[in-house]
Amino acid sequence: MIRFEGVSKQFQINDQVIQAIDNVDLTVEKGEIYGVIGFSGAGKSTLIRCVNLLETPSSGKVWVNDQDIQSLSKENLREMRRKIGMIFQHFHLLESKTVFDNIGFPLSLAGEPKSKINKKVKELLDFVGLSDKANHYPDQLSGGQKQRVGIARALSTSPEILLCDEATSALDPQTTQSILDLLKRIQKEYNITILMITHEMQVIREICDRVAVMELGKIIEEGTIFDVFSNPQHVTTRNFVKTVMNDEIPSSIIRMIESKEGTKHIYRLLFEGNFAGDPILSMASKNHDVHTNILFGQITELQGKPFGNLIVEFRGEDSDIHKALEYIRETVGVKELNIDGC
Amino acid sequence: MDVKLTEFWPRILEATIDTLAMVGFSLLFALILGLPLGIILVVTRPGNLMENKLLFPVLNAIINFFRSIPFIILLVAILPFTRVIVGTSIGTAAATVPLVVFAAPYIARLVESSLLEVSPGVVEATEAMGARPWQIVFRVLVPEALSSLILNITIAVIGLIGASAMAGFVGGGGLGDLAIAYGYQRFETDIMIVTVLLLVLLVQLVQTFGNKFSKIIRRR
Ligand SMILES: Nc1ncnc2c1ncn2[C@@H]1O[C@H](COP(=O)(O)OP(=O)(O)OP(=O)(O)O)[C@@H](O)[C@H]1O
Ligand SMILES: [Mg+2]
Repeated sequence: MIRFEGVSKQFQINDQVIQAIDNVDLTVEKGEIYGVIGFSGAGKSTLIRCVNLLETPSSGKVWVNDQDIQSLSKENLREMRRKIGMIFQHFHLLESKTVFDNIGFPLSLAGEPKSKINKKVKELLDFVGLSDKANHYPDQLSGGQKQRVGIARALSTSPEILLCDEATSALDPQTTQSILDLLKRIQKEYNITILMITHEMQVIREICDRVAVMELGKIIEEGTIFDVFSNPQHVTTRNFVKTVMNDEIPSSIIRMIESKEGTKHIYRLLFEGNFAGDPILSMASKNHDVHTNILFGQITELQGKPFGNLIVEFRGEDSDIHKALEYIRETVGVKELNIDGC
Repeated sequence: MDVKLTEFWPRILEATIDTLAMVGFSLLFALILGLPLGIILVVTRPGNLMENKLLFPVLNAIINFFRSIPFIILLVAILPFTRVIVGTSIGTAAATVPLVVFAAPYIARLVESSLLEVSPGVVEATEAMGARPWQIVFRVLVPEALSSLILNITIAVIGLIGASAMAGFVGGGGLGDLAIAYGYQRFETDIMIVTVLLLVLLVQLVQTFGNKFSKIIRRR
């Protein structure tokens, strides 16, 4: 478990003070995959680096497994760091050591016996699928393979927490997917708490349980993947959600609607959970004498739950439309948004 | 040719051995001093492992001071110091002292530049593993920089060969001494040519060996 309590960090460059993180409160529960997303410079890296004190907070507290990490002695901090694995965007492997020795390095630093190191490294090589590369050097590996080595290395001390700072940002989409699958497998098999930083919403949607959106050092929105993706509150969050869920009405359709006379009744219907399969629209239309015209629609899956996003134009008498909407709201509890002009 | 052949080659041989001894010993001592100094320069540098706002600038200034004195002046200037250390101010052993004073700060700088090439990210990753500072120095910085260290030390050795030839000026012995004393001052041109050729050969050998060794380390 990781808990940030009013954590702030300022950097001073000459006379200029940069507020990298600003009064952040955040709790990552044991065994969950928690994602923090934000644009470049939002303070994500600074935040994650406070967890193992690579960066010292200017104020506030960071708790790791109910230990105030800043109160630890140097020796206890080193002990704690062994329980916190970390992987990086640019891998940071030792170029002068083989894959095998890189993976065993944290254990070797901790003074573990050779036999134990050998056993653990073999097990991890197998886990990340690099057994045949044990005696290669990092510069003989592809980016994806290097990240696998980074992951295996981070796991070698059997940590309870894994910190991932842009772990897939240097990789192509396919390799990203395979690394994400690996992280998911780690979380399942070892029940590790994973805190990951990214600027790719795809990554968050793929593996996170919860997400926080960061901007200018602050957490501006936080919640389960489903809540945040289905109903983003903040403009920045909406923009991030847009990058993976195309819910914009195509401009040609907007033009077409605008060219029409009269009042327009256009609503965005958000279908959640198990209702995505129900024929509510046709029921509403049949029972209340309205016509529905689907302008745009998409059904995706978020954390294994179907999530539908429909933009519908209703035609008919105002009172009928009102009743139809009431019906839709009651029956399936969908959220509706008047999207006129947006 | 005025030089008797029976004297010529033994003299050359003796001078070569003197040069090798001078370079070898001064390299040894210069490394003993320069390696730790270079490491200290890197770890006490602002923002690094054991940042030290006093030690770093002081050490930095001292090294700059010694690095800025021309060797030929250093050679003469520290004669009293040399006499205290080795008991005499002439001969091969005496030449070693100024050579060490010359090479140690040079090596410290070269070591510093090699170690600074190691990616800060790798150092940080090791910190995140719970490594102790000395583990970071000896198990990350030095091994990661080894290949570059060897190339840089090769440069230092070549610098030492050049300086050792100058050390002949204070009767230090070796190939430089031979070239100056016989070749230059007594116009025995063939001795001068042979000694210069030997110095060229020596430099070539050292550089070739350094390159090979560095490559082997890099690619193990
Ligand atoms: N060591 C430092 N010294 C001074 N300023 C820093 C330092 N580290 C970070 N900053 C500043 O703090 C702010 C947040 O940086 P941070 O690296 O946490 O952002 P980020 O969200 O990780 O961005 P990116 O996605 O580009 O990695 C930036 O304005 C950055 O310039
Ligand atoms: Mg970052």
